[in-house]
Amino acid sequence: MIGVLKRLGILGINRRNADYTLAWNARRLYPLVDDKLATKRLCQAAGIPVPKLLAVARNQIEARRLLDELEAEPTFVLKPARGAMGNGILVLEQRDGQLWRGSRVYSREDFAYHAAGIISGLYSLAGHADEAMVEERLEIDAVLAPLRDDGVPDIRVIVYRGIPVMSMMRLPTRSSGGRANLHQGAVGLGIDLVTGRVVHAMLRGRSIDKSPDTGMPLRDVELPDFDRVLRTAVAATDQTGLGYVGADVVLDARRGPMVLELNARPGLSIQLANRAGLLPRLAAVDARLGPRGSPDLGLDLGERIEFGRSVAARLSR
Amino acid sequence: MHRAVLVTGALFVAVGLALFGAKTLRFGIPVAPTENLGPWQVELRISARGEGARGSVRALLPSTEGGQVIFDERSSGDRLQFSIRERAGTRIGVWTGWLQDVHDVVYQFRVQNHAVTTPLPAQGPYPKPSRQLMSVWGAPSPGIPSDSPAVAELLETLNPPQATDQPARIRTLYSFVSHEVATVDSASSDALLTLSRREGNPEGKERLLVALLRAAGIPARLVHGLELRVGTPPEELLWVEAWVSDAWVPMSAVHDFFETTPENFIVLGRSNVSTVEATGVSAVGHRFQSLREHLRPDEIANLLAPDNALLAWMSLYRLPVGWQSVLRVLLLVPLGVLIVAAFRNVVGITTYGTFMPVLIALALRGFPLGLGLALVALVILLGFLARFALERLRLLMVPRLSIVLCVVVLAVTVLALSGQDTGQSEFFAGALLPIVILTMLIERVYITTSEEGATQALLRAFWSVLVAAAIHPIFRSTHAEYLMFSFPELVFVVMGMLVWLGGYMGYRVTDLVRFRELALGDAGGGASR
Repeated sequence: MIGVLKRLGILGINRRNADYTLAWNARRLYPLVDDKLATKRLCQAAGIPVPKLLAVARNQIEARRLLDELEAEPTFVLKPARGAMGNGILVLEQRDGQLWRGSRVYSREDFAYHAAGIISGLYSLAGHADEAMVEERLEIDAVLAPLRDDGVPDIRVIVYRGIPVMSMMRLPTRSSGGRANLHQGAVGLGIDLVTGRVVHAMLRGRSIDKSPDTGMPLRDVELPDFDRVLRTAVAATDQTGLGYVGADVVLDARRGPMVLELNARPGLSIQLANRAGLLPRLAAVDARLGPRGSPDLGLDLGERIEFGRSVAARLSR
Repeated sequence: MHRAVLVTGALFVAVGLALFGAKTLRFGIPVAPTENLGPWQVELRISARGEGARGSVRALLPSTEGGQVIFDERSSGDRLQFSIRERAGTRIGVWTGWLQDVHDVVYQFRVQNHAVTTPLPAQGPYPKPSRQLMSVWGAPSPGIPSDSPAVAELLETLNPPQATDQPARIRTLYSFVSHEVATVDSASSDALLTLSRREGNPEGKERLLVALLRAAGIPARLVHGLELRVGTPPEELLWVEAWVSDAWVPMSAVHDFFETTPENFIVLGRSNVSTVEATGVSAVGHRFQSLREHLRPDEIANLLAPDNALLAWMSLYRLPVGWQSVLRVLLLVPLGVLIVAAFRNVVGITTYGTFMPVLIALALRGFPLGLGLALVALVILLGFLARFALERLRLLMVPRLSIVLCVVVLAVTVLALSGQDTGQSEFFAGALLPIVILTMLIERVYITTSEEGATQALLRAFWSVLVAAAIHPIFRSTHAEYLMFSFPELVFVVMGMLVWLGGYMGYRVTDLVRFRELALGDAGGGASR
């Protein structure tokens, strides 16, 4: 069994931590990606599209006033700036007088309490004090909408040393509670880097063919605008200085690809969704760019994406 | 694994094993604790507060006599002069000087004891005690009212056998105090009050016995001693010795022994005064601590050998008893974290908090695993219910956590009270704090339950407990405790193994589970490759 995984080049957690995240992601850069507000500022400064920020609460008083700032917004998303694994995200879809509808009905008090919980660090990685941020709710792309019932799918691109090496789409399901997290029951769809087509789908570690919620076939679905998705993802990771990043990109129906967040410790299930190991691709990147400290080859964004695609194409044969 | 990791780890392991090997092979320190238990280490700590006057602190010091051997005595006087006086066969340690503020006087010794029987002679004739003996141990003295009319009256009622049959006389009097007088801890320590009420505290009963013996013409005296116990501090107590045919026969009407002192009772001295006394002080207090050792006296001597200055300096056996007890537990922690690291990096399971399993195992050290887990489960359940009830109030996090902590403290307090009734009280002392730390666990269980569902929360709790259960037997093992305490250099070996674990680049068991579909599916279709 271990032999098969080795032959497939499957990257395990220990190896990822030691050879990739520890080796290529300097600890001091983590705040840039752990704090979604910082990521947002970084991307905005570089002209990379991100979901619009509607309001921020940094303390309990601001948490109580948060809703007042949102009087004009019928629908929005409340999330912790330093949340982990999609925890603590509240999606409010519809306003109904003094009540808001989301996964359930929320009153003003419910909302303020949730924001207060975020600020006191309930959902943040180490329980540190956090900030509550409110973002616009995105409108899902027409191609992707029929694949799911609830929630916004996102596209995860693993970028290693500036080169996209693997990609997957994460489709929220009813059982995942609208969250695009694989271990919470979202569907993972392996995406061919060259064509942008779904090559394989899996749910909770098992292969599937159809969307569990809508019954739509998943194989060979072609992502719209995949070139721009890749460009957006790689451009965003370029801003961070991190060497091994997972960029989460969402496709908005009106404004196209936008960076939702970046991750300095991207998960490994992407290999299951693609039925392919990361190790050969990472090795190919190292072979091209040389060991750490090698002179910069001066590849531009387009050349790097082309190289990533050629590696993927060569290795999936 | 990288070469550097391999070498670094090996270096640590080698250093640890080299020291370990030197100590065991060259100096012959045993690798396993002695089967029949070794000596006790006892520490007397006296705190005296003075206000600038000259004064002294006095304490009864044990001597080598009967079945007990005292060795390795040490004293630290904290600015006071130490000397030893001997009076009527009893050694008294005296610390004198100008007493200013608090002085902490420490006296330590090791004692090897075995039970010795001094039987009453089977038949006469019984020589009469000398006049000198009678004047010291046969006459009335403060607290021993052998000349009181009440005592004389009782002797008449009891009508003991003739003075020529001393053993029978002693048995009658012993039996009276033992059976006709109740032991009540809150009762008086005065011999006459004990007699008139037919109840007394342990001291009152033993004083009464001495008074009765002396009134019957038998020299008798009080013995100050310690009952040494595992896991709790020694208890100071009194018993009685009666003189027959040039021998002092030990007996206690409270602790129920006659002719044979129990093995864990050691003699401090014979005196009419208390174990510790002081003059010229405004306040004085003292306490005993003890520890049973797993080495034979000669092996301890080996560890403290003067011709191996470095080895002697490194020996933890020379530390104060209280520190030793803490270090014995602390040195087990590296073994615990090694197991946690193996479970996390090789097996790959997720537990609540990195070292929470170690804390749980530490909290359960005093209990058998089943009972301990039940206790932790109970405390967590209570805290969880409190947390659930608090959810409605929408409190902010820190006060809310603090309330859960208060609930846990109360729960542990109630447990301690019920533990007192079931005789488990001794174990609680060490377990209290780690149990309280479990508060953080409650919050995490709660958040996991609400975010990822009860299944996830229970699963993670199960893994945490599983790892704790794997550590628990090590924390309870006297062998492991002995090894780590006698050979603290083994921590280097643990560190080396941790370096290796940290450099382990292979798959975790959970990786294999996660990618099993790929592995198995591909094994089937492998021919096409």
